[in-house]
Amino acid sequence: MPSRFQREREIITKTPYTDSFDFDEIKEFITGASKNLFISHKFKNSNKILVQPRGGFPTYDKVFELYGEFTSAGVDILPLTIDSNTRLNDYEMAKKMLALSEENDENMLNGYPLVNHGYRTTRKMVTHYDTPISLRHGTPDARLLIEVALASGIFEIEGGPITYLLPYSKNFPLDKAFLYWKYVERVCAEYSELNEPINRESFGPLSATLQPPAIVIVIQLLEMLLSLEEGVKSFSVSFSQTGSMSQDIVSSNVIKKMAKKYAEKIGCGDAEIHLVYHQWMGAFPRNKEFSDSLINTSTVIAAMIRADKMITKTRDESFGIPTKEVNAAAVKNTQYTLNMLRGLPIISDEEEEENLSEMVDDIMEAVMNDPADTLWRKVFNSIKNGFIDIPFSPHIINNGEAITVRDKNYNIRFYERGNVPISDKCLAFERSKVDLCGKSLVEHIIDDIGIML
Amino acid sequence: MNKLQIDIGSTYFKTNANGELNQYFRNFDISIYDDLQNKCSQLLSNYTKDEVSICSSANGGLSTLIIGVTTLFSLKYATNIAFNSGINIIDTILYSKIEEANTPTDVIDVVIVVGGIDGIKSKFDEKLINYLKDVNYQNIVYVGNKENRDFLNKNIDDLVILQNIIGDKLQVVEDELKEYLTNLYQADITGKEDIKKLYEITSNQIYSTPYIVNNALPKLKTLFDVADPFLVIDVGGATTDIHYSTDLVENKNIMTSSGYDRLVFKKLGVFKSRESLVFGAKSNEFVYELLDYLGVNEHILDEHSDEATVVLMQLAIFLVLYQVSKNHNDYVTLKLEILNSIVLTGGISKVLSDGDIDKIIKFFYKKILNYIEIPNIITDRNYEIWTLGIEEIYNAE
Amino acid sequence: MRVVTGVVGNDIHVVANRLIEISLKERGFEVFNLGVNTYLEEFIDAVIETDADLLLISSLNGEAEGWSRDLLFLKSRYDLDGVIFAIGGNLSVGEATQEELVPKYKAYGFDLVFHQVDLNEGLDSIEEALKANQKVEA
Repeated sequence: MPSRFQREREIITKTPYTDSFDFDEIKEFITGASKNLFISHKFKNSNKILVQPRGGFPTYDKVFELYGEFTSAGVDILPLTIDSNTRLNDYEMAKKMLALSEENDENMLNGYPLVNHGYRTTRKMVTHYDTPISLRHGTPDARLLIEVALASGIFEIEGGPITYLLPYSKNFPLDKAFLYWKYVERVCAEYSELNEPINRESFGPLSATLQPPAIVIVIQLLEMLLSLEEGVKSFSVSFSQTGSMSQDIVSSNVIKKMAKKYAEKIGCGDAEIHLVYHQWMGAFPRNKEFSDSLINTSTVIAAMIRADKMITKTRDESFGIPTKEVNAAAVKNTQYTLNMLRGLPIISDEEEEENLSEMVDDIMEAVMNDPADTLWRKVFNSIKNGFIDIPFSPHIINNGEAITVRDKNYNIRFYERGNVPISDKCLAFERSKVDLCGKSLVEHIIDDIGIML
Repeated sequence: MNKLQIDIGSTYFKTNANGELNQYFRNFDISIYDDLQNKCSQLLSNYTKDEVSICSSANGGLSTLIIGVTTLFSLKYATNIAFNSGINIIDTILYSKIEEANTPTDVIDVVIVVGGIDGIKSKFDEKLINYLKDVNYQNIVYVGNKENRDFLNKNIDDLVILQNIIGDKLQVVEDELKEYLTNLYQADITGKEDIKKLYEITSNQIYSTPYIVNNALPKLKTLFDVADPFLVIDVGGATTDIHYSTDLVENKNIMTSSGYDRLVFKKLGVFKSRESLVFGAKSNEFVYELLDYLGVNEHILDEHSDEATVVLMQLAIFLVLYQVSKNHNDYVTLKLEILNSIVLTGGISKVLSDGDIDKIIKFFYKKILNYIEIPNIITDRNYEIWTLGIEEIYNAE
Repeated sequence: MRVVTGVVGNDIHVVANRLIEISLKERGFEVFNLGVNTYLEEFIDAVIETDADLLLISSLNGEAEGWSRDLLFLKSRYDLDGVIFAIGGNLSVGEATQEELVPKYKAYGFDLVFHQVDLNEGLDSIEEALKANQKVEA
């Protein structure tokens, strides 16, 4: 009799929208899979920042060509971005749109409908390129999707119950998201025992608009803990360029220190923790030369903060989905810039790091003190009562009272803390840096959002 | 341990004696207690009082009249709380239309009045008092804004005042009303003379059946090959209950902490509510096509045969799915296209074959959603949900 | 003064929505923000539940027209005298001027219409309208 969890997996995967699952064969495939498919292996054996673009098209052929383009540009990690019908679990619609895309040679989906393609087909492409692939989706209920991904040989899964929900959805129930991601973690943990570990990555950019580092880091830590407690052995925390180089450096130092500390606290110090840096996720300039310059600066910062992986943007960012050529050129350019950035000194800013660490610890303590009996329920309650508050989240459970602005050096600061349990001292420190310069708060925020335009 | 579980329904009662299930059609001429003694005296004699646990929906559920100032906040929030507290019959009145509203002819177990956030002017006036004069109700509870409390308290006898269910950010605040209604329901079950007498055979608390079912849902996957999000459909003699995963809800503006919500179709049953089921079916635009697809004609709806019962049950499944689909604008719309499993329980599981069920659900998905594939279907043929729910409760104690 | 605000229909402009909320609060309003992706019925019902003085709907993706047609019907269900209905943002999918759009949206039942108008200017005229409204009521 298979375990209850295995039975659940069989129900989830038994759907007419994807290939019939042969779990024994999948296990065998993962056990014998090339080490080159595992980003966890690449992290261990690489001494450079791994470069990964974004991208995905509806049809197999177009993704195959995209990968070819990326490979010739010297990519380290390939992306597989999933379409939005699949993200909402509407596989029937994805199926129809895929058929139309194939018939008319037109992109009727904004990504690759992995479930409909199935793992047997997708695996051919994955093994052909023999390069780690990272799954980029944004799905609150990703159970079937990650089963197909892992069976295909995609051994990095991005996302999490908070980071893939609060920035994207207005009313998907958060409690369900936690339970569905628990399933994801458990599957990743099980497969991690067969070969190199499956890597899980959290999505630090959140709503990509004036996100306070303390909140980003707390969420990174919590998703890491939720993953490690299910047995995941390789995890990437991440954040995106804030707009202030010094704040990125401070954030990176704090998040590295904290990730280690909290992983050890729950007895998971043996897990490998990595840092991923997202090039600027806010609004891009329409001037393509400025965009190139922005991307280069992001690359310099990634090197300064000693990220393990960096996710790239393109000069066409403000014009929609980039062509494969433009996307590959961005990878090539980033690798070129990175090549110059060797042996940089380690910089730190004690006062700022102390302030940020204190805020992170204060929030973490409040979360852990919630009386619920499971970590996910503690986190759920903490979001509900506003201890964790994400600026510019559309979700109805998000408290939406914390307000952030930039100081004169473009560091993102708390202006109103709402219910976020940072101390008066930290709030005073944050506010002491802020000067609205006679502008209204909203005018200030509008300028702060548009700093790169 | 020696265990006997008994569920008293409106049409049947069933027993589970250490895993052995039996079902009996109720004799409405005598009391439940006598009926039980007549049919199961041998069985009952084998168990001591503390080995017997009983749940019941035989009180027909409480009837509720909700008077609220808007559809999407006051009425919706109160309705959600009421269904989740086990209430079966809900009528709603929009306060702006109260002067045109009919007065209910039946006795109402509880009237719920709700409207407005705290800190604004009163929402209810003489119009409410005048309307209530002609309503025959047992209990009345006010869960609207603070400002109205004094006025209502002065003018309505025995008014219970609880926390406003609409919070200052327009969010639902469910705790106090939920507790109040759950207790009321419990008191009603055990207050009915018929049920009260059952305490002669059990020393355990008698629970309501919907409460039992709701308790089983988080653990449903330990029983069946079922995956969230799912829908449990319980077609009964008088009503049809559904329980649904909250992530199926379209345009949700309610964030509660329970993963499953309940909804009752009060006039959808194959025995007591047969007439209204047939009426509902006949007014559905797809029904003739459906009957044709099932290979029968409309006369079957007036027949009293086994075949007619099968068709009625199939119609009930269809109508339930239809009423929660995007084609029907009702209290709640469910995203049936992402449903993983449908679980069927109740009397239906003893009558319909897998083929009968498959056929009707395929028709619904094809015709209404234009989908070829259907969710996986599980039929709870041995009332395992009920058994699980009852065990969950007694284990928790 | 209480105001209900949000973004109508299948529109997900969270940033604009939140900025409007902050602006309104800065001007001293008590704000009930229904967020993005809100249906017209929900706006009206929220006005009733909160006794709002103003409903300010925003629409950024030009889809407002399709959503606004039912407004008069919905308004007729309740007594909403004295409530100011305003809509602003990008109110047309194609090219259209404020002059063309204002009568159209007024016919739908809006009192104030702002097509591609600066946020602060828009809020200034809303405040003026509210003041005038109060005088009439007094």
